[in-house]
Amino acid sequence: MKWQIALGAFATVALVGMLGFVAAGEQARMASFTAAYQARQIEAGAQLFEDNCRSCHGPQGKGIESVAPAINAADLFNGQRLQAISFPGTVEDYVRASIAAGRPKPSAGTNYPQRMPTWAQRNGGPLRDDQIDSLVAYIMNWKDRALAEAGGPAPGPSGPTFGTDISAALPAGDASRGKTLAEGPLGCANCHLLAPVGPAWLAQPGQQGIGTRAETRIKQPDYTGKATDATRYLVESIVQSNAYVAQGFQPNVMPQNFGQRMSAQDVADVIAYLLTLR
Amino acid sequence: MALFRLHIPILDDVKAKGLRKAVADKADELVTRVTAGMNTSAVRSMLRDDPPGRPNPRLTPHAEGFWLHMKPTYYHSLVDGLYPTFRLGWLSTFFFAVEIITGVFLMFYYTPSPLVAYENMLNLLGNVPLGRLMRDIHRLGAELMVIVVALHMLRTYITGSYKKPRQFTWATGIILLGVTLFLSFSGYLLPWDQLSLWAVTIGASMAEAVPPEVVGRNVNLLVRGAPEFGANGLLRFYLLHVIALPLAGILALGVHYYKVIHHGHSLPPGAEEVGEDTATRIPMDRRVYFMPTILTRELWYVLGLTALIVGASVFFFHAPTLEPHANPLVTPLHTTAPWYFLWLQGMLKFGDKVIWGVVVPTILGGLLLVLPYVEVGPSRRYGDRRIGLSAAAVAVVVLAVLSYMGTPHYAVTTSPDQEAVATLLPQTEPGPLRLARWDALNLGTYDASRWQSAPNDTLRGLLSTFYLKLTEVQSKDRSDVQGLMVIEDWQTGVKKVTLRVLWKNIADGSPGEFSQSVYLDKASNYAQGE
Amino acid sequence: MSDARVLGPTEPAVSVPLSRREFLYYLWGASMAVFLAGSAGASLWFMLPRFREGEFGGVFTVPVGDAPPADSGPKEYAAGRFWLVNVGPKTVGDPRQPHDYKMQAGVKALYKVCVHLGCIYRWTPTNDRFECPCHGSKYLKSGTRIDGPARRNLDVFIMEIIDAQGKVLARTEPGMGSNEGTALAIPAGAVSFRIDTGRRIQGAPNSKPGGGI
Repeated sequence: MKWQIALGAFATVALVGMLGFVAAGEQARMASFTAAYQARQIEAGAQLFEDNCRSCHGPQGKGIESVAPAINAADLFNGQRLQAISFPGTVEDYVRASIAAGRPKPSAGTNYPQRMPTWAQRNGGPLRDDQIDSLVAYIMNWKDRALAEAGGPAPGPSGPTFGTDISAALPAGDASRGKTLAEGPLGCANCHLLAPVGPAWLAQPGQQGIGTRAETRIKQPDYTGKATDATRYLVESIVQSNAYVAQGFQPNVMPQNFGQRMSAQDVADVIAYLLTLR
Repeated sequence: MALFRLHIPILDDVKAKGLRKAVADKADELVTRVTAGMNTSAVRSMLRDDPPGRPNPRLTPHAEGFWLHMKPTYYHSLVDGLYPTFRLGWLSTFFFAVEIITGVFLMFYYTPSPLVAYENMLNLLGNVPLGRLMRDIHRLGAELMVIVVALHMLRTYITGSYKKPRQFTWATGIILLGVTLFLSFSGYLLPWDQLSLWAVTIGASMAEAVPPEVVGRNVNLLVRGAPEFGANGLLRFYLLHVIALPLAGILALGVHYYKVIHHGHSLPPGAEEVGEDTATRIPMDRRVYFMPTILTRELWYVLGLTALIVGASVFFFHAPTLEPHANPLVTPLHTTAPWYFLWLQGMLKFGDKVIWGVVVPTILGGLLLVLPYVEVGPSRRYGDRRIGLSAAAVAVVVLAVLSYMGTPHYAVTTSPDQEAVATLLPQTEPGPLRLARWDALNLGTYDASRWQSAPNDTLRGLLSTFYLKLTEVQSKDRSDVQGLMVIEDWQTGVKKVTLRVLWKNIADGSPGEFSQSVYLDKASNYAQGE
Repeated sequence: MSDARVLGPTEPAVSVPLSRREFLYYLWGASMAVFLAGSAGASLWFMLPRFREGEFGGVFTVPVGDAPPADSGPKEYAAGRFWLVNVGPKTVGDPRQPHDYKMQAGVKALYKVCVHLGCIYRWTPTNDRFECPCHGSKYLKSGTRIDGPARRNLDVFIMEIIDAQGKVLARTEPGMGSNEGTALAIPAGAVSFRIDTGRRIQGAPNSKPGGGI
């Protein structure tokens, strides 16, 4: 019986010790749990955005002209948009309220004929409150990049823009910089992502890379553009995308302003990159 | 002024006996009151384990006090060792107490409404000091209680302790087994995440199978409070979990323990014949007194086990990671019932849900309940009960096999492409992709068949797992199977990982595709166990 | 307790007449039994939930134009928990369709819960069938089970097709126990479907591998 008494006493001391151990780490544990759940909320929000919002607000929330405005935009996060409609709350409140209750009326001076629907279940929509919180967390997470990009959509060598003349002279291109531009600041991959393996310009099962495709496109009987070689075809596709619209796509889907956003060097670099994809 | 003279007895005592003696006497009186009959010297003699003397003052608390009147004053020395009881009945009671105590604490932060239940869980885990520990202990205690209660029943069966005169004790024990299982099951729903909703939905749909249709439909409505789980169902399960079932358990436990003490603990099979009642005839030299022997042991057990269960919850065991909020419209792939009902889920794969889900379990439960009134063999000796013991062994094996059949590994055929994606991205647990180091997920497109060329060990591990599973997609009607993992930069600290399976249908040469994406935040930290 | 006591040899019971007092006790006991039975019934009634129109359990109205075209994929109505399917000639003639069930072209409202264990099955376009993620039951667009542990076809809700005046043009026949709910061909002048989610017809028995009775 003596060992039982000793063990009982030991167990009691161990119990106190363990509870002390837990108590000592508890603040940190609670903080880490809260942080992890905020992060998981962003993950859930990303999925919700893809399922519910992307079709109107565009990939990465960059907006679609005449359908729905960009949310991943500096003027939302720096408060200009709120000022324009004299919204008194915070950006987060504004985003949450707009999702939950929709937008009954467009902001003045914008061209968005469709109305934002009400999403909250209490307003007759499909989303629970926690889902709206997740969406808000996801949207608010754009803040840093949106504000950083505010300086200009296509950072790069400043200078004269390329324009829309497809026969203009091109300097020597740097393929690796072109890859960075296409996947990053120019935002090409936001839309050209239909292929199963990543950006649509890559080679994929049953289709060669865009470099090879460009060569065959200009020889097709339905080709309506003016280009005569692969390089000029690609230039045309970027700065005058309506000159020839590949089968299965609609004109005007691709923005028409790349000629005003890119310098000749940008165009040359991107094309150098695209031509490496055979 | 005799009219206003106060009578203070202690002053009289001090006057008569002197201060020190008066206080000592008063303290002694207090000890006697608290222990319901043992004065200080009797307590000290017990702690020193001196012979008790006659009359034995250590019996008084059993006669005078409420708590100890439930405990026998002495036990038979043959049940004093670990065999034959293995203390399983005692352990069941211990875990029941643990569950009640931790459960009451958890109730402080829980509201049984689908609007806030999940948020309450997040608050409990992220903003309540010791909240996670409390949840883990409650969950661990529940799992252990189910195991211990089941083993207790098995032990009682093996030693033949259910036989006359203890038939009714067995019957109340079966009721307690049912209460334990349903307590655990009803608690499953309360966190209101995907796991709890769907595990309970699978279990509760048995209620709907009760024939005829009109009865089944209404039983289902009574259980869930609506055709499907929602606010009413959660509230009903909560009420079952915190009121109805604990109350039933406490009542049944009272009857059960009364019968145990009334007939005495059953001795090992050789030492006691069927029909013998041991409570009243323990020979003097066989008596092990509650005080101090049993009392010391039970105290040490309580503290030792509490230390163990707390230690396990601190260092090893965590209640399952909270999954996404319950969504009645989306069933996760590979949903299963709680493990102690897997055998039932396994039986359901035989076929008809009325027969295998309602009729057979009801018959089994009924058989268990009336077992001691039906099986009236005259001996408790192992040698005389070969058939009965073999039946128990067979039953255990069958239960294990059925439980295996209840898991998704057996006879659940989803399309293999979805299975392949689910190996990396399971829908009922975090899984390897979510647990992988975020920094190691280099942006790019990776082909599973070329997993060796991936830039680091994490990716190589993920891709080779994926590739291994992809070989099962290749079949007589699918060829050219290709698996891809595309990792894209999505947002500040967020990557999008897409798993894609591509194949060619051999019949018409058409391409097939299945893909699933997940967004991974740098800080989501699935590895922390919550 | 009584088990342990050794019972003496039973003596022949002396016949005692039923006194008025004893009889009254029995009468009282019987009335208490009636009261308890009544209380049990009242408690069940108390606990049984009721539904209003428009929520799940009530009636949903869907304009005829919203129905999916014949033989195209089914359309989900999450609030009403049903899939609206349009069984066309290709679905009727599907080679996977077991021949034990009378098929008819038309519109059906399939309850979106698997008849095996209540999971939510999904439409898998690549396989052109419904698949349940829990235990792998598979159903064709017509609601006929073709594989897995389910033992009947999908349940359907009772549906009425009404015209502009609200006159009922066609109605899913409940066919108690004998038949599953029929698909309804859309008659001329039909304006909307009215789907009663409170009343569902169980699918016909179906237990053979590959489907069939």
